[in-house]
Amino acid sequence: MNQTQVIVGMASCGLAAGAQETYDALNEALSKADAEASLGLSGCIGVCFLEPIVKVVEPDGTEWTYGNVTAKRARTIVQKHVAKGDPVSEWTFESGEYAKTFESFTNKQVRIVMRNCGEIDPENIQEYLNRDGYKAIEKAVTSMTRQEVIDEITASGLRGRGGAGFPTGRKWQFAYDASNDTKYIICNADEGDPGAFMNRTVLESDPHSVLEGMMIGGYAIGAEQGFIYCRAEYPLALKRLRIAIDQARERGFLGENLFDSDFSFDIEIRQGAGAFVCGEETALIASIEGKRGMPKLRPPYPATSGLFGKPTIINNVNTLTNVPWVILNGAEALAQYGTETSKGTKVFSLAGKIARGGSVEVPMGITLDEMIHDIGGGSNTGKPVKAVQMGGPSGGCVPASLFDTRVDYEELTSTGAIMGSGGAVVMDEETCMVDIARFFLNFTQTESCGKCTYCRVGTRRMLEILTRICEGEGTMEDLDTLEELAEKVKSTALCGLGNTAPNPVLTTLQYFRDEYVAHVEDKTCPAKVCRSLITYSIDAEACTGCGACIRVCPVDAITGERKEPHRIDPDLCTRCGSCYEACTFDAIRVE
Amino acid sequence: MNDNGSVQITIDGQTMSVPQDWSILEVARQADIEIPTLCSHPDLEPFNSCLLCVVEVDGRDKPVLSCGTQVRDGMVVTTDSDQIRHTRRLALELLLSEHCGDCLGPCQLNCPAGCDIPGFVKAIGEKDYDKAVRIIKETIPFPVALGSICPAPCEEVCRRHRVDDATAICVLKRFAGEEDLKKEQPYLPEVAPDTDRKVAVVGAGPAGLTAAYYMRQMGHCVTIYEAHEKPGGMLRYGIPAYRLPHETLDAEIRTITDLGIDVRCNTKLGEDVDIEDLKEDYDAVFLAIGAQRSRMVDLPGIDSTRVWGGVELLESVTRGHKVTIGDRIIVVGGGNTAIDVSRTAIRLGAEHVTVLYRRSREEMPALDVEVEAAKEEGVEIRFLASPVGFEETDGGLKVTSTRMELGPPDKSGRRRPIPIEGSEFTLECDTAVMAIGQVVSPNCLDNCDVELTRWNTIAIDEQTMQTSEPWLFSGGDAVTGANIAVEAVGAGRRAAASIDQYLRGEEVVGLPELWSVSMGALDEVPEARFAGIEKIERHKQPELGMRERVCTFKEVEMCFSEIAAVEEARRCLECDCSAVGDCLLRQYAMEYGADLSRFEGKKREYSLDDSHRDLIQEPGKCILCGQCVQMCRDVKELRVFTFADRGLGASVTPYLGLSLGETVCDGCVKCVEVCPTGALISRKDSQEVSDPVES
Repeated sequence: MNQTQVIVGMASCGLAAGAQETYDALNEALSKADAEASLGLSGCIGVCFLEPIVKVVEPDGTEWTYGNVTAKRARTIVQKHVAKGDPVSEWTFESGEYAKTFESFTNKQVRIVMRNCGEIDPENIQEYLNRDGYKAIEKAVTSMTRQEVIDEITASGLRGRGGAGFPTGRKWQFAYDASNDTKYIICNADEGDPGAFMNRTVLESDPHSVLEGMMIGGYAIGAEQGFIYCRAEYPLALKRLRIAIDQARERGFLGENLFDSDFSFDIEIRQGAGAFVCGEETALIASIEGKRGMPKLRPPYPATSGLFGKPTIINNVNTLTNVPWVILNGAEALAQYGTETSKGTKVFSLAGKIARGGSVEVPMGITLDEMIHDIGGGSNTGKPVKAVQMGGPSGGCVPASLFDTRVDYEELTSTGAIMGSGGAVVMDEETCMVDIARFFLNFTQTESCGKCTYCRVGTRRMLEILTRICEGEGTMEDLDTLEELAEKVKSTALCGLGNTAPNPVLTTLQYFRDEYVAHVEDKTCPAKVCRSLITYSIDAEACTGCGACIRVCPVDAITGERKEPHRIDPDLCTRCGSCYEACTFDAIRVE
Repeated sequence: MNDNGSVQITIDGQTMSVPQDWSILEVARQADIEIPTLCSHPDLEPFNSCLLCVVEVDGRDKPVLSCGTQVRDGMVVTTDSDQIRHTRRLALELLLSEHCGDCLGPCQLNCPAGCDIPGFVKAIGEKDYDKAVRIIKETIPFPVALGSICPAPCEEVCRRHRVDDATAICVLKRFAGEEDLKKEQPYLPEVAPDTDRKVAVVGAGPAGLTAAYYMRQMGHCVTIYEAHEKPGGMLRYGIPAYRLPHETLDAEIRTITDLGIDVRCNTKLGEDVDIEDLKEDYDAVFLAIGAQRSRMVDLPGIDSTRVWGGVELLESVTRGHKVTIGDRIIVVGGGNTAIDVSRTAIRLGAEHVTVLYRRSREEMPALDVEVEAAKEEGVEIRFLASPVGFEETDGGLKVTSTRMELGPPDKSGRRRPIPIEGSEFTLECDTAVMAIGQVVSPNCLDNCDVELTRWNTIAIDEQTMQTSEPWLFSGGDAVTGANIAVEAVGAGRRAAASIDQYLRGEEVVGLPELWSVSMGALDEVPEARFAGIEKIERHKQPELGMRERVCTFKEVEMCFSEIAAVEEARRCLECDCSAVGDCLLRQYAMEYGADLSRFEGKKREYSLDDSHRDLIQEPGKCILCGQCVQMCRDVKELRVFTFADRGLGASVTPYLGLSLGETVCDGCVKCVEVCPTGALISRKDSQEVSDPVES
């Protein structure tokens, strides 16, 4: 390879940051510059906070990675680096300001699940093959018995990455032991919690590793058909999965008698309509069967009676991505990372008020503090981090005082949160914990399938109580009712969605009860978030009379002559906070 | 597990051997242990949604759904504990909090006697007047009397107000009663075999007669002691005959006394009979002595012979005494008695009748129709005026009054009248009548230790009607002070139930409260409830011509014709739920003491699908048990119902957004059989009156 390669990270995070414009600018600049260079794409390397990201690989193999590549920067990179061989080093991860950031961000990470993310073109099977792609399934089919595959996975200590953490090997064993001529494996790609994108990152950046994981699982339990259940809201993931399946069929990795064995396997995609509850396995199965996505009581578990009543394994995207790696590198290689009960790595979506947000893959056993401060760089507001919501709407809020908690299924559960699928929403002192509990509960309540009483009505009544509290209408009796309902919904609701929906409420009540009490008794919101409980005013000393606030106020509540202190009419003010954002003199007071 | 595929399970201490594929719920059913469930009809697969069937299983730290949990060998199950009851009650309270519907009609709930109004009105609509009377007499022994004079709290809350005007419930009740009285033998309910228990009732007014009526039906021997020469109490002596003719009242009272009740008139407590003797001679006593003396305020000159009490005047007229009141009459007060007195005065020949009321028209407690009739007959009403003194003059009476203005609302919610200083004015008259309320005369109880309230009324336990003396019960005006007759009727029936319990040696708890989910107060009911309801004008009662009215005591308001009654009855919106008798949700809610007001918040949306000829769906009452979906889809193999939407908006709806009439439903109504509430009802069970009104 003796021409320069220019590769644009074009997963959803990159595209959202403007990667398409960057790509187009590069394309145009490269053709104008008449430079000897190819333009390609890759997925996400997890450094979402520096997107769009462009990698330049020089003919000798030297790699430079650029961050925040706007169209303008793209043109400069082509002019200087591609055309003249002169890297714009201050924009690269290899030197300059990004180097330290990148170093801190990646230092403590271990890449197993995301081993290929951002490193290959997800739409080109050859690039996957170049990195040992489909070697694991070949090894399994040609040199291992089904039981040996299961034993290897069991020995690795791999547990479900979807949240519940059931040992993957054991699950497979159940399905293997179930006598039936038809079995199924399903990849649960129905990622739906707000702030979570661990699955999307892998689906968009390395779809073949998911297919290969499914094939190995299928081989192990004796399934010949796999389904990927992915929501329609992930169009790019679906597109790349389709391309990957087509290419895998073309190359003979899917189909009849694979690797000249009697193992046949194929994969179909089933698009979900975006119901959060369809991430729950019995609801997911119902949805694939063409029924309404409504959970059923377990047992029977899908491993004995699942899709169309057949033994069925359902694994999360990130669980499956581990599988080929374990088969190739051995159980020990995975088990070397982690704690007694939690082995390997875990991908988290660091989001919220975090300085360095993105997909991070950490070894189990790392503390939340390391993840949030060392890797994530703390809050993006300069204010101290107050808590982190682990596991999305089903998870719980872990306060900063417990940040020495390790990433470990059991340790996280003991805080009232859960490992969850990997959402980690960081909150600082300007986050109101009542409001955040309301936010997550609002999500689960609208996503409830409506089947069981405690979830359908119970979460709704909880939400109404939280709303009352946020509006300053709550009573101490409401707090008791809220807790009573939360405990009952948790213990009695039919499925995982309902059982976990109260977690944000219960944990914030446990760790931040004083904030609730302040809303109820003092009618104040300590974080100054709840609109009904705050007032905006202008500090006449600090106000320069610049008029910036007057211009942004959507309801004309601010008046004042130029260069004279302005005033907010509290009756007109809707407490939207626009003036606060607009004031550069720190003159807006929120009380 | 045994070889034969059965397992041992212990349920509430009872060890059983059952097939291994049974659920805990099936075992409980086998063992005759009642576990509540709304979503596990015995003929269908359990749906695991209502969560009422929770039980405890040893070794499991969370409640277990008995409908969906298969038995295991050695399983130890507890089906009842405080925790379980709490979980079930809370689930019921949540279901009730989203329930959009009415178990009972608001009319029935607002009726102090608790009369099944939708029931009797429907019967009239079906021309089954016997049935109508039977239903009425389950709670009210006087359909004609109350139908003629009741201010009808039921009609105030009638949902029909939101469409046009309330259904004329009261007149319909009277219609049914009059139809009954026309018969050779009016309806007499069955009387239970004699219990050999004796009860004395003091006072043959609405409370006493009602209590006697129901106690007699229970088989007790009842004797009524009445001070006046005839029974009826205020119905006779306080209500002028032009509102309730005495012959009608006599006939109606006979339907009560004919059950075998001994009425001893002209027997006054404290004079002719002593309370201690009654205690001695009877097993229990019901005291219904009313509030029979006018309240007189301490004003200068009030002792003048030209100043009457309202009820005393009415009584004198009823008893046929010669009453001389002159031409110019001033009546003080704003209630029905004041209006009755003023209209009576007109009939006695008075030329100028003036009513002084200290508040304004809005606050006036008298019935609108009565006030209007009085004005038509020539009565003048002066609002915001109150007397401060009376002074006899040569051949007359000078009444000095002061003008009033309205201040802030008082405890009753009405604005408090405040005298305007220096606004005194004087009116001349021949007679002034004080009709500002009545008081109880408890001196007949002087030798009894029964507790009185500070208003000198008899103190009781409101639930049981029991006084401080366990053998002595009381109700009606004697307890409440002057009140409407239907309140006394309600009190009489409640007392009857309590006295029956007392006589049987049971715990005295009174009657259970009527239990009902409600769509809310009149203004809270969703507009959708009234969509598509045709406006039909309320029927008016024929009235006596004015000429005859003002000079006789002939009845003024006459009853409906049969055609009018049937048409009027069919105006009823039938708010009550036709599944009320077998609704499992209601049954469990009452059993578990679910608090209807525990949660407030968004309810299910109201809607009604009556597009099908056999089936009506009211999704507001659906609890999403899925039994109809299952019955239709899996048993009948028809696609009629499906689930839709999420969260609180989740619902069971006809397929593809069709209306029920457009689906493939064949009208087998098996879904109705499995519906635990009134969300699905068969037309046969509900309304549909098809035969023409004209007979």
